[in-house]
Amino acid sequence: MNFSITKTAGAAAGVMLCFASSAALAECTTKIGAVLPTSVDWGKPIAATAQFVVDQVNEAGGVQGCDIEMVLRDSQVDPKVGVDAAKALVDLDGVQMLLGAVSSGVSMPILTSVTAPAGIAQFSCCSSSGAFTTLAEEGKTKGLWFRTFATSGVQAAVGAKVATDQGYKSVAVLYKNDDWGQDIGKLVAKNLEAKGIKVTASVAINDAQPSYRAEVTEALEGTPEALYMALYPTEGTSVVREWLSLGGSQNMIMANALKSDEFRDNVGMQYLAKAHGTDTASPRVASADAFVTAYKAKFDSEPNGPGLANSYDAAMIGLLAMEAAGKDAKGADIAKAVSRVTDPKGTPVTADAAGFSAARDVLAGGGTVMYQGATGNVRFDANGDVSAPAVIWSFTDTGTKEDSYITLEEVDALMGN
Amino acid sequence: MIGVLSYAVFFTTIASILAIAVLGLNLQWGNTGLFNGGVVAFFGAGAYGTMILGGTPQADHLGGFNLFYPLALLGGAAAAGILAWIVGILTLRLRHDYLAIATFGIAVTFENFMRNAETITGGAKGLRGFERPLRNWIGDGFVYNFVFLCFVLILLYAVYRFLQHLVGSPFGRLLRAIREDEEAARSIGKSPSRVRLIAFITGSVIMGISGGLYATFYAFVSPQDVLPMLTFQVWAMLIVGGAGNNRGAVMGAFVIWGAWSGSGWLLSRFAPIEAQLYTGSFQYILIGSVIVGMLLWRPQGLFPEQLVVSQSGKSGRLSREGD
Amino acid sequence: MIQNLTDGILVGSILSLGAIGLTMVMHMLRFANFSHAELLSIGAYSALVFDAVFAAILPVLTAKIGPLSMTWALALSMILAVGTTAISALLIDRLIFRRVRDKGSELSMVFASFGVAMIIRNAMGLIFGLGTNLYSKDIVFAVVLSRDPLLLIKPDQVFALVAALAIMLVLHLILSRTTLGYALRAVAENPALAQVNGIRLSHMIMLVWLVGGGLAAIAGVFYGLTNQISPMIGRDLVLPIFAATIVGGIGSIYGAVLGGFIVGIAANMALAILPSGYSPSVPFLIILAVLLIRPNGLFGEERA
Repeated sequence: MNFSITKTAGAAAGVMLCFASSAALAECTTKIGAVLPTSVDWGKPIAATAQFVVDQVNEAGGVQGCDIEMVLRDSQVDPKVGVDAAKALVDLDGVQMLLGAVSSGVSMPILTSVTAPAGIAQFSCCSSSGAFTTLAEEGKTKGLWFRTFATSGVQAAVGAKVATDQGYKSVAVLYKNDDWGQDIGKLVAKNLEAKGIKVTASVAINDAQPSYRAEVTEALEGTPEALYMALYPTEGTSVVREWLSLGGSQNMIMANALKSDEFRDNVGMQYLAKAHGTDTASPRVASADAFVTAYKAKFDSEPNGPGLANSYDAAMIGLLAMEAAGKDAKGADIAKAVSRVTDPKGTPVTADAAGFSAARDVLAGGGTVMYQGATGNVRFDANGDVSAPAVIWSFTDTGTKEDSYITLEEVDALMGN
Repeated sequence: MIGVLSYAVFFTTIASILAIAVLGLNLQWGNTGLFNGGVVAFFGAGAYGTMILGGTPQADHLGGFNLFYPLALLGGAAAAGILAWIVGILTLRLRHDYLAIATFGIAVTFENFMRNAETITGGAKGLRGFERPLRNWIGDGFVYNFVFLCFVLILLYAVYRFLQHLVGSPFGRLLRAIREDEEAARSIGKSPSRVRLIAFITGSVIMGISGGLYATFYAFVSPQDVLPMLTFQVWAMLIVGGAGNNRGAVMGAFVIWGAWSGSGWLLSRFAPIEAQLYTGSFQYILIGSVIVGMLLWRPQGLFPEQLVVSQSGKSGRLSREGD
Repeated sequence: MIQNLTDGILVGSILSLGAIGLTMVMHMLRFANFSHAELLSIGAYSALVFDAVFAAILPVLTAKIGPLSMTWALALSMILAVGTTAISALLIDRLIFRRVRDKGSELSMVFASFGVAMIIRNAMGLIFGLGTNLYSKDIVFAVVLSRDPLLLIKPDQVFALVAALAIMLVLHLILSRTTLGYALRAVAENPALAQVNGIRLSHMIMLVWLVGGGLAAIAGVFYGLTNQISPMIGRDLVLPIFAATIVGGIGSIYGAVLGGFIVGIAANMALAILPSGYSPSVPFLIILAVLLIRPNGLFGEERA
């Protein structure tokens, strides 16, 4: 039915072939490290996206004339394993720039015990814990830490705006029981109540449970008009299918992690007509489509899935900063150069190979660039956090479409509530 | 070269910290026959305890007692001991598989509590307790790691000596007597349940020390550090190393942790770029194969238990292989 | 509340099927097999493959059976999956467990099974991808049995429950009425004595793996039918199945059945007492409570 033997056989054969062949090497290569959970369903696409950036940059001639080789290690979502991998990358492979990790629980010990002591620039796509901001404020990240994950406040505020716009009177909140979910779940409940919308239930969804029936039953009590979900596709699919089959409302609000083809296909478009999602916005320029187009050409689907756009930006900004920092730059130089590639007054460059080439020319001339990333005109504050404009989106038969765009000023106004 | 050395120091630190936990488990299983399926709860109690006691004041949750570091570490170990005391009273009369699943459940509950009780433990976002001790004087580079490794090795050696002494003492004989034949031990007037409880608490305190060191080294602890996988890792180290043998326990820690991280390094270095995305799953398969392979090759572990038989004051050594 | 109870019974039937196989293996071979839940995963995926094959060669079979989302193709696939899974279970024993058993202790077996689980789970991930699969994407709506108190039931789950009960009944008859059943029980109780009486131990071990694997395959397909299929099925189900086995008492098939229902109900009722964040620990707290009263489980016997 929804299982393709040829695809599976193809993938298996591909793996075999891969192990048989070996990669070609250019004249000079610069290694960068990546510690990402490739053995986890949502982690593998994040790593694939980072690799995609490296391919694009190599296509554009590499960094400082050298090909980039991304040495990828699986974090297994286990802090010990992730930290050990990061340490090996820094000490044995000599990387000056590290991508990772996804979970805050892995990124944080990497930062405190590997990258900050060794002066390595660390770019995370998805770690959302507020602890990083505190650490940076205390000056303990040494300015080496960056994350392209817009704080959950934006999404929560926009999620509440969707509920207001749609005129929902009561909403049940389901959140993934990790640092991201706990944070956004609390924020969205606060935002909803501030708007006078009743939160009928706030239910934590734990990982790896055999059934979410009980959680869904709890959310159904109080018959809410709509459902807010800060979930990943795997649990999200299971939860929504239960929710719908038990007669739950089709009014749904989703955080960006559910912007996933897998989720849409497994739930079915016919049930998602009244589902709206929130996300950070890509820039309002025509060339921004370049990223989506290139991504579709490579992966045969839109960049939909938790953290994909963020992963793209983390990798691209890291490599742009390496280019800006000059030949054989150390981690600290790379970290310093980040402001030169995310300068709001700089020359705009697009998120693709051409953009990287353009940026190289500008940077070589001593100029600065404004990287218009997959998640928007990324701009870091002093603590390595980003803020960005937002969009409200919904599913279509082939992907997603943008329903409305919320500027940075509007976002700030929403969050002021 | 300095890179290799720096990594070696780092690797040895983590392996030694884990080895301490394996030694604690060896006292419980290897010497006393207690199937503790909740190693990670006691490890976690040590980690969280140390962080909360020694930490600087934090917004929104408990902690910030700013205790002098050695006291904080001892406090963490004590937290593990108190947890073990409660758990022990409740569960130690259970046998084998039943004890394993009961203690396993306690570990799951522990992780759940750490994840959800935000006001006490910081919740899923984790707990930043304090900076690494003495960091202001030694900096946080290679020298720090080396000094910390020395500290860990001293503790590992102390725990090892302590356990070796314990195993050779009359108390150690009593432990094995209870493991092998509880009725006989009871018949000569010993109280197996009390002895078992003491062994369980002692082992758990050792795991707590290991957890405290672990949290200190990372200056951070989160629910992800206390997942059941750690229990499995520590057990695999003991079984592969050789249950009942302290030298085996330490060697097992190095062998299994070496296989765990080495397999990832090998794959990242030698698997071609196109296959890199699949290496995560391959790594698990490799680790699983190493464990299965070791058990097929040497089911009694690298260093099988050496039974100390005391007869007329003279001790001879017997291998347990034919047991 | 009544809804949670009903849901618990429906989910529990799947756990029971898994627990029966596990309790038999644990009793006969005397080791805690952490790879047992991977057999559910093998069953669910083999059915997925057969289902795709049937749909391709005999499209007529894709008709649904009554109000269920189960098709005739899937029903046939399930039968084939029982075969492949039973054989897989036997193969794993031949390749690994038997060799470890010959040389090592119970504990070596336990950790070998951990390693085996890791290998199977990740091999499945490599072959089928890490994402989720479904037998049918259609959402079957629950039937309202009662408005007040609200009681909703999904046809698939009722089918799974009835089928599981029927299978358990057949198993009960085999074990209590046939010589095969007596032989099986005799070996589990006292292997040495049974062999003296001419029962071939190796045959009985084979039989246990075949039965355990077959039941696991059915549980896996039912789980996939009522939830979803992913390479992590084994990881998600190993603990509830263990819990069911332990609560029931190792070696007791009736205990395993009851244990499955207890764990299912406990997990579903949990939210009425505790915040949802704590739901994973509730089944274990129930087990702890049961074991405090009955240290060998509900139906388990003390064994040296």
